[in-house]
Amino acid sequence: MLMLSELKKFRIVDLNGNGVKLVDLAIKDSAKVDYPPVYRLYFFNENGELASLRWETVREINLNKRVISVESFSGAQVFSPDILAKEIFLLRDVLDAIIIDLQNRRATRANDVWLEEKGGEIIIRGADASLKAIFRRLSGGKLGKPDENEIYDWRYVEFLRGNPEAVKNGAGYNLRITRLAPGEIAGLIDSIPYLHAAELIVLLPDDLAASVLEVTVLERQLQIFEELEEKNAVKMLGMISPESAARILKQLDAKLVKNYLEKVPPERSKKILGILQFEEGTVGSIMTTDVVFIPENLTIKEAREKLTERLREPDFVYFIYAVDADETRRLSGVVSLRQFVIGADEDKISDIMDKYVSYLNPLDDARLASFRIIDSHLAAMPVIHTDGKLLGAVTIDAAVSTVAPRGWQNQAPRVFS
Amino acid sequence: MTIKQPSQIPVGLETISKLEEIAFDNGAKKKRRRGMRLSIRGRSVMLRGLPQQPTGLFRWLFLLGPGLVAASAGNDAGGIATYSSTGAKFGYELMWVMLIITVSLAIVQEMCARLGAATGRGLLDLIRERFGLGWSVVAISAIMIANTGLVISEFVGIAAAGELFGISRYITVPLAAVVIWYLIVFGSYAQVERIFLLLTLVFFAYPVAAYLANPDWGAVAKGLLVPKIHANPEYLTVLVGLIGTTITPYMQIFQQSSTVERGVGRTTYGDERIDAYAGSIFSNFMSITMIIATAATLHQAGQTEIESAADAAKALAPVAGEMAQAVFGFGLFGASMLAAAVLPLATAYAVSETFGFSKGVNLDFRRAPIFFRLFSALIVLGAAVALVPNIPVIDLLFGVQVLNGAILPIILLFVLLLVNDQRLMRELKNSRVYNFLGWTTLIVITIAVLAMFAFQIWDLIKS
Repeated sequence: MLMLSELKKFRIVDLNGNGVKLVDLAIKDSAKVDYPPVYRLYFFNENGELASLRWETVREINLNKRVISVESFSGAQVFSPDILAKEIFLLRDVLDAIIIDLQNRRATRANDVWLEEKGGEIIIRGADASLKAIFRRLSGGKLGKPDENEIYDWRYVEFLRGNPEAVKNGAGYNLRITRLAPGEIAGLIDSIPYLHAAELIVLLPDDLAASVLEVTVLERQLQIFEELEEKNAVKMLGMISPESAARILKQLDAKLVKNYLEKVPPERSKKILGILQFEEGTVGSIMTTDVVFIPENLTIKEAREKLTERLREPDFVYFIYAVDADETRRLSGVVSLRQFVIGADEDKISDIMDKYVSYLNPLDDARLASFRIIDSHLAAMPVIHTDGKLLGAVTIDAAVSTVAPRGWQNQAPRVFS
Repeated sequence: MTIKQPSQIPVGLETISKLEEIAFDNGAKKKRRRGMRLSIRGRSVMLRGLPQQPTGLFRWLFLLGPGLVAASAGNDAGGIATYSSTGAKFGYELMWVMLIITVSLAIVQEMCARLGAATGRGLLDLIRERFGLGWSVVAISAIMIANTGLVISEFVGIAAAGELFGISRYITVPLAAVVIWYLIVFGSYAQVERIFLLLTLVFFAYPVAAYLANPDWGAVAKGLLVPKIHANPEYLTVLVGLIGTTITPYMQIFQQSSTVERGVGRTTYGDERIDAYAGSIFSNFMSITMIIATAATLHQAGQTEIESAADAAKALAPVAGEMAQAVFGFGLFGASMLAAAVLPLATAYAVSETFGFSKGVNLDFRRAPIFFRLFSALIVLGAAVALVPNIPVIDLLFGVQVLNGAILPIILLFVLLLVNDQRLMRELKNSRVYNFLGWTTLIVITIAVLAMFAFQIWDLIKS
């Protein structure tokens, strides 16, 4: 086992005895293989440029003399800054950097990196975040004997550079973070610096990024949002739920709000505006406008066909609201998902719907309405206009979050919204 | 007003005027209408959900936070002792130094706030990553030892303040420890910050004490504006002590870490610098009033030897009256409470940043176990040691000042190097004016610290 903190003290020496100090090691295929190999050695050449040799040129590693022997420096290459920015450097990007231990779902610091020789290659085995690693480094290896049980297996490690632009520039990553659930990633995002958090969001596929952003605490959402490029920010606003988008927009400058609302797709913009038009503390301000509704005169079969596409999108599908028509949207009743699934094809929505629906006015006090929802043990309560038009629904999550003490609001589960 | 028929209203853009009428008719409490009118895709929409930004005085009050708390925490029990001793020994003569230190403190604190906003990371975190493990371990070791000593001295301050009012230390110290612990462990950062800000109000006790002391305002103005330097070693020792007390490493650590925890980002950083400036001005104004209070009374009465803040309060009674003593004691209690909370917090931040542990008041024991355990341990240790009878607090404070003095130039050097790092700071990098003031501060402080050590060595040789 080789420790990176030791290896960084090594020199690269050719057959003629010419030597230079090892500056860094680059690994390849980090996202493709479990234990990526070191494939380049970096050093400063006689012109002061960062040059590199391929690992294949290495003849021997002498641990006692701290020397990496190579045939010659003649094959050394100098790459442009763009290429260098894309490399994964072990000293620059991993040692002492913030890493995410995916097995324990926690962010920590790579106090050392474990390397291993395998089939003539040096592979990266894991990161050591133990205090022993610190003692070992400070004492020059005299204290803190390495213990394999304390390393984080590289298969379950994600490292971050703290620079959201690195992703855009094509920098390499492990991309193992995508294995975690959105809520778990959101929990991690809350415990790392905001630039790392923004980098992580940019790194994720869009749909996962939106799901993570959705359940991230508001303060962190805002910091991430401010770091996103406008194009990405608009995309995220269009993908997260309207109530989450409204929550973020409420914290931004009016000019930015206008800019974003004009750039997100019109349908999404309308849904967000539907929430933003209500004053803080009212039911309208905590409702979701992403509700599923269906004309009451359709049969269940027709409704299923009509909703097939629709049901892919919104989060809240626990209830399906029956309305008089798509345009007027006057609430007639409510159908639970269970009724909808087990109902016979030929049954009409109006036959199976519950016509006696408890509902809220958008200008009702949000806190009182939240207690009403909690006391009624309903997953949600529809919000309707005085003329009977369905505007949205307040979910139990939003209700609990509204009445929870401020310190607990961030920890309240959000299953429906 | 025209109310559109439901069939004509686009989904999600219904007018709410009619709703309002009905809701208010139903007895709902009518609230002041808020919000903003925006034109979205050519259509004017009233968005009542958009909060109006605070204006006038409220706008500035909303900005206050880490800067005010960090700088005020510097006026702790040790600080009060130093300022009181300065006033008692030299009257108004050293007050001009405070004006200069205010500028330096404001510059240093603002740079830390900016570093926090630009990077989202604490000071020790950046030191570890930019200057290596060795330097960060040296810094954190000194900070740990110095801050532990200071935490003890804050609880001693709480005990002494309680005893001024006839309350046993065996009641005040455990009670204060439990209150501080509960606040940090169970509160959110926003709640903790609000309570810290409220605690800074106790410092108004010192202007009251200064007023009650009935000073010669002409002499005060002269002391503030006309620099006077003696070659007297005692004078220089006090001068150096003033600098060391006013700018201490834990203030920079707390400033940066709490700016991070407040969620200030690089794109929104701007007005927050007002907080750092206001905090420095506020805290040093209070320090000046402490000097005035003792200069006008104890110095005038020829009582020049003050070793602790409690001594100063006791000495005030026969000269300026019981009320002055009570006010001074009240200020000591509040200041010690604030510092007893801020110091363990700053230490826990620093240790967690160095070693990569989860940290933050917004987290809990489950999510940041080492951060909260360390905080709790410091509180328990500080309170327990403060209960030991006849603890040599003066010797303790002396040792702490030496350590803080040794580490301060190193911390300031790191701050200046970091805040000039283009890759890290981008558009928030130091300007030339800031660099001039920052490097000058570092040079002056380094000279002051070296002078302090020289005096102490000289004293040792003499004795």
